[in-house]
This record gives sequence, C-alpha cells and structure tokens, in this order.
Amino acid sequence: MSKVVLKNVVKQFGSVKAVDTLSIEIQDQEFAVLVGSSGCGKTTALRMIAGLETATSGDIFIDDVRVNDLPPRDRDIAMVFQNYALYPHMNVRENMGFGLKIQKLSGSEINARVQEAADILGINELLDRKPKELSGGQRQRVAVGRAIVRKPKVFLFDEPLSNLDAKLRVAMRAEISKLHRRLGATIIYVTHDQVEAMTMADRIFIMSKGVLQQHGSPMEVYAQPANRFVAGFIGSPAMNFVEATLKAEDSDIFITGNGFCLKAPLAFQPALQAHLGRPVVFGIRPEDIALSDDTSTDPGNILTARADVVETLGSEIFIHLACGDDTLVARLPVPDRPVEVGQTLRLGLNLARSHVFDKDSSNTIV
Amino acid sequence: MKNKLVSNALFYLLVLVIALMVLFPFLWMLSSSFKTQVDIIAWPPRLFFEPTLQNYIKVFEEQDFLKYFVNSTIVGGLAVGFSLLLGLPAAYTISRYTQKRLAVFILLARLMPGISFLMPWYIIFSRLGLMDSYTALVLSHMLIALPIVVWIMASYFNGIPTEMEESAMVDGATRQYAFLKIILPLSGPGIITATTLSFIFSWNNFMFSQVLSMEKTRTLPIAVYNFVSYAEVDWGGVMAAAVAIMTPAIIITMIFQKYVVKGLTMGAVKG
Repeated sequence: MSKVVLKNVVKQFGSVKAVDTLSIEIQDQEFAVLVGSSGCGKTTALRMIAGLETATSGDIFIDDVRVNDLPPRDRDIAMVFQNYALYPHMNVRENMGFGLKIQKLSGSEINARVQEAADILGINELLDRKPKELSGGQRQRVAVGRAIVRKPKVFLFDEPLSNLDAKLRVAMRAEISKLHRRLGATIIYVTHDQVEAMTMADRIFIMSKGVLQQHGSPMEVYAQPANRFVAGFIGSPAMNFVEATLKAEDSDIFITGNGFCLKAPLAFQPALQAHLGRPVVFGIRPEDIALSDDTSTDPGNILTARADVVETLGSEIFIHLACGDDTLVARLPVPDRPVEVGQTLRLGLNLARSHVFDKDSSNTIV
Repeated sequence: MKNKLVSNALFYLLVLVIALMVLFPFLWMLSSSFKTQVDIIAWPPRLFFEPTLQNYIKVFEEQDFLKYFVNSTIVGGLAVGFSLLLGLPAAYTISRYTQKRLAVFILLARLMPGISFLMPWYIIFSRLGLMDSYTALVLSHMLIALPIVVWIMASYFNGIPTEMEESAMVDGATRQYAFLKIILPLSGPGIITATTLSFIFSWNNFMFSQVLSMEKTRTLPIAVYNFVSYAEVDWGGVMAAAVAIMTPAIIITMIFQKYVVKGLTMGAVKG
C-alpha cells in the first residue's frame, strides 16, 4: 500500500501563493498526473511531496504517516528530475547503486538489483559508461533505473520527458506506462504537456495559478471539463470559445452570437434556463465540427464560416475559420474535394458535445 | 589583405608594449640578481655584464633559507587547509541558502586593509604568548585565504545544479553526505583555483609575518628584508632572494593556470 494524501496544502514564496489549499488523494498503484502551464504550482506540489520544499501549511501523508517534518531520505520515495541529475563523476552502475549503498546493502545485493533494473530498461551495455557518454534518451533511462532499483513506495516524475525530442518522447511515454503496469507502483507525474497527461494517466489533476481546477480520468476531464480553463487546456487543437448570449424562443433556448444562432440540445435546457439573457461563452472542440453538405439537417446546428487557413496534416486537415468576428478551428478528415482558402463553408456542429460556460465565473454551465 | 596585415602588426605591437610593461620589473629583478652591486647601481644601466652567482650563494649560505622556505610552506599550507575546511561548507551554505549578506560580510573582511588588523592582533597575540608562533601566523594568513576560498567556491557551487544533491537526498543521503559525495567531487577545478590563489597570496604576504613572526617562524618574504640594513641595501641579495621566493609561486601558477582560468569563469556561465 502506498497512498499519498495532501490536505489543504499551501506553499507561499514571499507574497506569492505557489500552491493554494491543495487537497488531493492518490490511491495505491495509481498513475496520477499533475498537469498545468508553467508556474501553476505543479512542480512545487511534487517537491513538497518529496520533501525538497516545506509546506507553509497543511498536511502531507504517505501511507497514513504525516511526512511534513520528515527529510526526503525518510519518505521512501524516488524522484526522476527534468534534467536527470545523474552524478557526472560516477558511471551508470554507481549512479544506480548510490541509494542502495547508502542503505548499506551488500555488494552482491546491489549488483543484483542494478542488473534487474538494467534488464527491465534495456541498458545493460551502458552500465560502465559515464553520464556524459550517454544520449539524452539513455540518460533518461538511467535516471528511471536509479529510481526503480530502490523499490520505493512512491515514484515522483518531474517533467522527465521535456528534454527529449518528439519521437523519443512518444517512445518513452509508452515505456513509462508499461513500467507502471509491470511494477504496480504509485506514480505521481508532473508535466505541462496535456498529451502526456491524457495518454499516461489513470487520473489527471489539472492545476492553474496554484489551485486545483479539476481531477478525474482522462476521458472525464476531456468530456466534462469543470471550467473554461480545463476545457481549453485539455485537447489539441484547443477547444474553440465564442462569446454568446442565451435566448428563449417558444420552448427552445438558442445560443446566439455574432453571426450564428444555434439551438441548444434538449438535454442542455434545464441547466441553461437560469442563465437566460446573461453573457456566456460557447465552447466546441475542433473535432466536433464537420463539413455539412446536407441541406436537410436541422438548421439549429449549422454554422457558415469562411476558410482562412487550411493546414494539411496528411491524415486530417485543420481549417481556421472566420465566423463573424470570431475565429474557430475545425479538425476534419481529409475531404474528397480540397477546401480552398476564402471558400465559404457550411458546417455542422455536434452540439451534444459542446459546452456553455458562465462568462464571469468561467465555470461550466453545461 | 594589407589592412589585415597592418591591424595584425598593431595588435602584436600592443601586446608587446603591455607585456614589456608588466614584465620589465621582473626582468630587471632577474638580471640584477646575477649582477654585482657595482653593476646594479651603475649609470647608465648595464645591459651586458658578467653574470655572477654570488648573490644566490649569499641567499642560500648566509641566510637560513631552507628554514624560511619550510615556515612559508607550513604557514601557507595550514592557512589554506583550514580555510578550505571552514570555507567549503560556508561557501556551499552561501550558495544554496543565498546568504548574500554573509558573503558581503566576508568580502568586507578581505577589503579592509590588512594593516588595520595588525595592531589588535599584535596586542592579542602577545598577551596570549602567541608571538612568533605558527598559530598566530596561520590565523592571520587565513584572513587572506578564507575569503578567497569562500568567494570562488560560492560562485562555483552556484554553477552546480541543485538537483544534484536533491537527487542524492531523495536517494537517502543527508545533505552533508550529498555535499561530501556528490558536490565536492564535482568541485575539483574550483578547489584547485581557490587553493592556488590563496596559497600564493599567503606565500607572498610580507606584512603579517614581519610583525607577528620573529626568529622561529619567519617566512620567506622576510628573508628579502634581511638584505636591507641601516648602512646599505644589498640589492643583489634582495633580488636573488626575491627570485628564489617567486619561483615556487610561478611554478605552481604555471601548473594550475588552466584550472584557475576554468575555475574563475565557472560560475559565470551556467553549465
């Protein structure tokens, strides 16, 4: 069992609150990802769990033991740093065995454990090399190896892939996921990359300005974002946001803006009722916009817009659209007839998957 | 092409002029050490003369040069050793806990003219019966060596990413253990720089030894002074002694200069 619990944790640097009343609970064997843009407090939170920063207030528990006052060495954690932090004067074997040597394990035990970790990570032939003789990806593996030889309660990863090139990042992503399943370890992983968060996490914790915005499984935070920040942060390209107002007509509610008027799905209507006449923000993901030639579709979900930029990615295209004063991005499969810049397009929106946010509070209405 | 030639020529001319200005006193000293007293004070100065080793014989035979040499080595070695012992942890603390005020305070001690310390020291050491003792000399020379160690090493430690010891601490090390096993082994060039510079400063120090040492602990620079008497200044002896004193310092600098340059610029560019 290795559960990590943070209760009302605050970290203040001078007058700046880096982490503001953070309460999270990470279950045994869970792969938890803290994600947010730089400066959101995610790394500070991780460093407090590691014991490298002290919490200004609040409690941190590892396995029901309050660890606030324990030094890092007594917390039974391992951490992989963004810059790997391998010891330059030691070879890979010594780097990986360093923690075990401090635990005063016997030489044969250390060798066996280092060997086991090297086998898992496929770095056997690197064991006698110095860190400067390794490539970025190899250093990354050694850093992970140094963490797993110790068999700690909790693994902490601080943006471990951000120094790697894009291709290697994809490969390492899969490898860390595999490792998680193999070790059955509790992992807390910090990243600014929402793709990493979506692909690896059991549960995502999204932070902004030191405050936890939402947590949940990748699909939950993708499909049901708690507020506009989460909606815009998760997903690539980002969700489109358009300012709008809500109007009731007959028994329907319409989302109207500059150059469009959309009929809210029936399921949305109870929630929208309270916000009639108020300014809102309408949000729709690029993948929920489709080209529509079908004139018979319910006109309540149709938008006409001009194609401003067309980006072809091979398997799909991104179209930057101008609709009134607003701009939107649509993500479409490559159409049979190429889309010309300047062309006026008729677009069908999957409104059942769209969102409406309160403009003032940014919270999700529906 | 022609322009380049001219600018090259000007460049080397300038280098030559500066080198001459810097080296002239040294060359003057070197040549005088091989001259007789008559040749030294001759006017116009004699560029060509019959060299003599008489001055060096005087330095090594009439003076107890070996004793002074041993004294200088003991005093320099102990002062630098203790300064490293105190200064390395201090520099680490200044670097990692950003103790800027403390650092400035140490620099202040270095900036104050050494002579202002001498009077109180003289009184304190004589009352403690420590005049002419290695203790007094080593302590006084640490005033020079300690700030050098602290300042060079603090900026050197700034260049070592904090993740190094953080990683070791997560791995189970105490901060002290991480400092000893991770940070110090990475600090070789910095330590060599600090050691070389502070040893040379101690080696060359005249004033503290002149006041605080007597027959037993007299250091090398005082040996030069022995050639100055009421009646006359034995310039040949002074110059030969000076050459003999400078030689070890020059050799040390030449051996370690590449580390010194590396060590001094280390903190400047984040590695």
